[in-house]
Amino acid sequence: MSRVVVIGSGLAGLVAANRLADGGAEVLLLSKGIGGLQLGQGTVDVLGYAPQRVTNPIKAVAEVAASHPYAAIGAQGVLTALGYLKELAPDLLVGDPEANYHLPTAVGALRPTCLAQPSMLAGNLKAGSSVVVVGLRRLKDFQPELIAGNLARTELPDGGRVSARAINVDAVAREGEIDSSGLTFAKAFDDPGYRQRFAELLAPKLSDGEIVALPAVIGLMDRQAHADLSAKLGHPVFEIPLPPPSVAGLRLNQALNARAQAAGVRMVSGVRTVGFTADGDRVLSVRNATVPAEREYRADAFVLATGGFEAGALAMDSYGAVTETLFGLPLVGTENTPLIHGDYWGAEQPIFSVGVAVDAQMRVLDKGRPVYANLRAVGDLIAGSTRWAEKSGDGVAAASAVLAADSILKEL
Amino acid sequence: MRKLAVDVVVIGGGSTGAGVVRDVAMRGYSTVLLERADLGQGTTGRFHGLLHSGGRYVVSDPLSATECAQENAILSRIQAGAVEMTGGYFVTGPDDDPAFADKFLAGAAATGVPAQEIPVAEALRNEPRLNRGIKRAIEVLDGTVDGWQLVWGAANSAQHYGAQILTYHKVTKIDTVDGHVAAVHCTDLKNGEDVLIETGFVLNCAGPWAGQIAAMAGAHPVDVIPGRGIMVAMSHRLVNRVVNRCIYPADGDILVPVHTVSIIGTTDVKVDDPDHLVIETKEVQQMFDAGEVLVPGFRKARALHAWAGARPLIKDNRVAASDTRHMSRGMAVIDHTTRDGLDGMLTIGGGKLTTYRLMAEHIVDAMCDKLGEKRVCRTAEEDMPIEGAGPNYVVTHRLHDREHDRLDDQIICECELMSRKMFTDALAEQPKGSFDDLRRQLRLGMGPCQGGFCSMRATGIALASEHIDIERATELLRLFLKNRWIGLWPILHGEQLRQTALDNWIFSGTLDIEHLPAAESEVVL
Repeated sequence: MSRVVVIGSGLAGLVAANRLADGGAEVLLLSKGIGGLQLGQGTVDVLGYAPQRVTNPIKAVAEVAASHPYAAIGAQGVLTALGYLKELAPDLLVGDPEANYHLPTAVGALRPTCLAQPSMLAGNLKAGSSVVVVGLRRLKDFQPELIAGNLARTELPDGGRVSARAINVDAVAREGEIDSSGLTFAKAFDDPGYRQRFAELLAPKLSDGEIVALPAVIGLMDRQAHADLSAKLGHPVFEIPLPPPSVAGLRLNQALNARAQAAGVRMVSGVRTVGFTADGDRVLSVRNATVPAEREYRADAFVLATGGFEAGALAMDSYGAVTETLFGLPLVGTENTPLIHGDYWGAEQPIFSVGVAVDAQMRVLDKGRPVYANLRAVGDLIAGSTRWAEKSGDGVAAASAVLAADSILKEL
Repeated sequence: MRKLAVDVVVIGGGSTGAGVVRDVAMRGYSTVLLERADLGQGTTGRFHGLLHSGGRYVVSDPLSATECAQENAILSRIQAGAVEMTGGYFVTGPDDDPAFADKFLAGAAATGVPAQEIPVAEALRNEPRLNRGIKRAIEVLDGTVDGWQLVWGAANSAQHYGAQILTYHKVTKIDTVDGHVAAVHCTDLKNGEDVLIETGFVLNCAGPWAGQIAAMAGAHPVDVIPGRGIMVAMSHRLVNRVVNRCIYPADGDILVPVHTVSIIGTTDVKVDDPDHLVIETKEVQQMFDAGEVLVPGFRKARALHAWAGARPLIKDNRVAASDTRHMSRGMAVIDHTTRDGLDGMLTIGGGKLTTYRLMAEHIVDAMCDKLGEKRVCRTAEEDMPIEGAGPNYVVTHRLHDREHDRLDDQIICECELMSRKMFTDALAEQPKGSFDDLRRQLRLGMGPCQGGFCSMRATGIALASEHIDIERATELLRLFLKNRWIGLWPILHGEQLRQTALDNWIFSGTLDIEHLPAAESEVVL
């Protein structure tokens, strides 16, 4: 059996590892930490703005510029990846590749996304709906007045408006604690008894026909928590994802990790991968910074899923030099000067489109030729777009991971 | 139109104006301070946080050195809570002339600035990040001071004595009658209302903007030459004492530990317009290089934020007009009677934050002379009402406070340990304030995440407080992020670039903040 090393356990790394294991490879997943999914919102964005609001993401993917990562990936690549993601997390991701949801955020904007968690779907609002945004006094990352205020003054993508009001309830996640994290609340909501008490506290404050918006903390492990709470309240309920640590992101992280382990992926976590050896156009091994001596991992193929600037996979030094920090791979996009400009609300900062160029198999290119025949880059490392702005990070990550994995499996 | 009548109008809400209005009020005059923005928003809030021991000037400007030493002792007593007694070193870098330290010690002795040479090994033991190659080290009594706290302290003290502090009031016109100041016109920028203040005396403390104010009264041009200096805040305290290069004053010769950061400064470039201060890339690079001399590895430390301030220097014919660093830091009081035939107005320029109280004493003495009255200055004797009586600031104060209230209150800004109550209290006092106004008092968003986690919370809490509506709340959030960026992008690299990517994932990726609806009509922030 051939051995593949995947470096990084965000969405791209986890999808690649699962796909490779499913295809029969012996997979080792190296990660320095918990991975990026808990920083995100637990949905799968394919393309939300291009730059106008996108209603059909697959159609929009087919129309991107040649420099965009989707140009190498293609609409079919995205469709395959979305189908695979639904297989990996069947009870957690639902949606139609040809129709974005538009889901309220924790500031009350309507955010386009492609696949979402079932607990979020009642937030895809119809004109004329009445929403009550319920704050938890002890959870500071969810400000119901801000969300309701902005929702109420937003025109829906199809036209029309909703009404929204804010209320607060003093639910206690942990006795004696006034500053509880979303995770603490999520663990409390895993308990059916807690949900029952919460429903009794909240129900008297609701009006007939209202849709209830809650922070995305309704259970971490119990997948029935949302449906159960909704039934207990007798109202449709939807969750709004919070800034990190994001419970919705953690759910996805756990689902994909559990699936990878079940598929036989071996994992080494908590250690940074710091070096590599190569012979000609092939990478032979990578090295982890274990103590007291570095540990070497040899493999037939390598998938680099280390992320972008947020993950430290790309970095700029004090002189302005930008590097890929593990392999020192050639970067594109650095020619766009200035890389950083002073207009915060203006054009995207060119620095954040810097990354590696890849071919259709996700092999890293230098002037059109693969740098290493057995090294593929996936996810945020790929140059050509600002994922957070266009809401495309998950689609690029998952689709590039599937393409990389499938091309490796073909070669092995 | 609103109308007021006071004995004295003080123009400018920086340290000088705040010190002056306190002194004027303590001497029993009715007075009002006018500031076109928030207190301490100009030069006072844009310095490196140093409370001079006087060491910096013992060779170049002996009079300033003596004044600094005296005022340092006074301020650390009357405004104890705004001052941290860090102590300081003057160190001779590997390539600096060791003989300057002898001149320094002689100058210190002559000017009454406490200073003592210590073994290099002792300096390195106390400040382990210092360059191992330093050749000499002199210990001085440098401290650090929070300029905003200093100004608010003085303003609060003035209010206790009956002064009115009008922020966001822009002076538009100064009336004179028969060669004497008669009234000041201003506009309340928060609601557009005109305000007329009848007065017999104007004290012009507008710093780099003093020339513009003097011109409104018809005075001959006052040559205030704004000298731009940039500062870069580095995350954490790289040093626990102020560290100065023991050289003739130059660019990038000081590293100051203030609150949770250390600030390197500064440059000095003559500029024409104090309202448009650019942070040049080459000056940022110059600061990083200077930092390497003091603390090797400085370039790999995390730079958080940069800013530029304009020194309010009065033109002095001793040096070339392009060299603002070596102009007199000593204060200059301009008497418009002899100069312009205009009674009832004095302009003050020059000076420095450390001597702000003394500058106030001088100008108010000069005013009393003109009015033919003998009223004694008492500002050096009396502690400020809020922070004066307690102990000096230490960096762990907020940690101490949070240990006490952590079960009763939430921490809204983890980087700077700002609680919900601190925020709502400040907002209740300044309900029309921007988040930057509140930041200057609370340090909201000034830590490593630069607003990434706290600004959405602060927006929601402000809205829930019902002081503001949803459109204003949203616009305040947008403005806060925009303003943070002004000081971020010029230094962005390394770990702070990484933080920015995470912040962008939060604001844009998760919150989609850029697609919130625009306000239906313009919101005056």
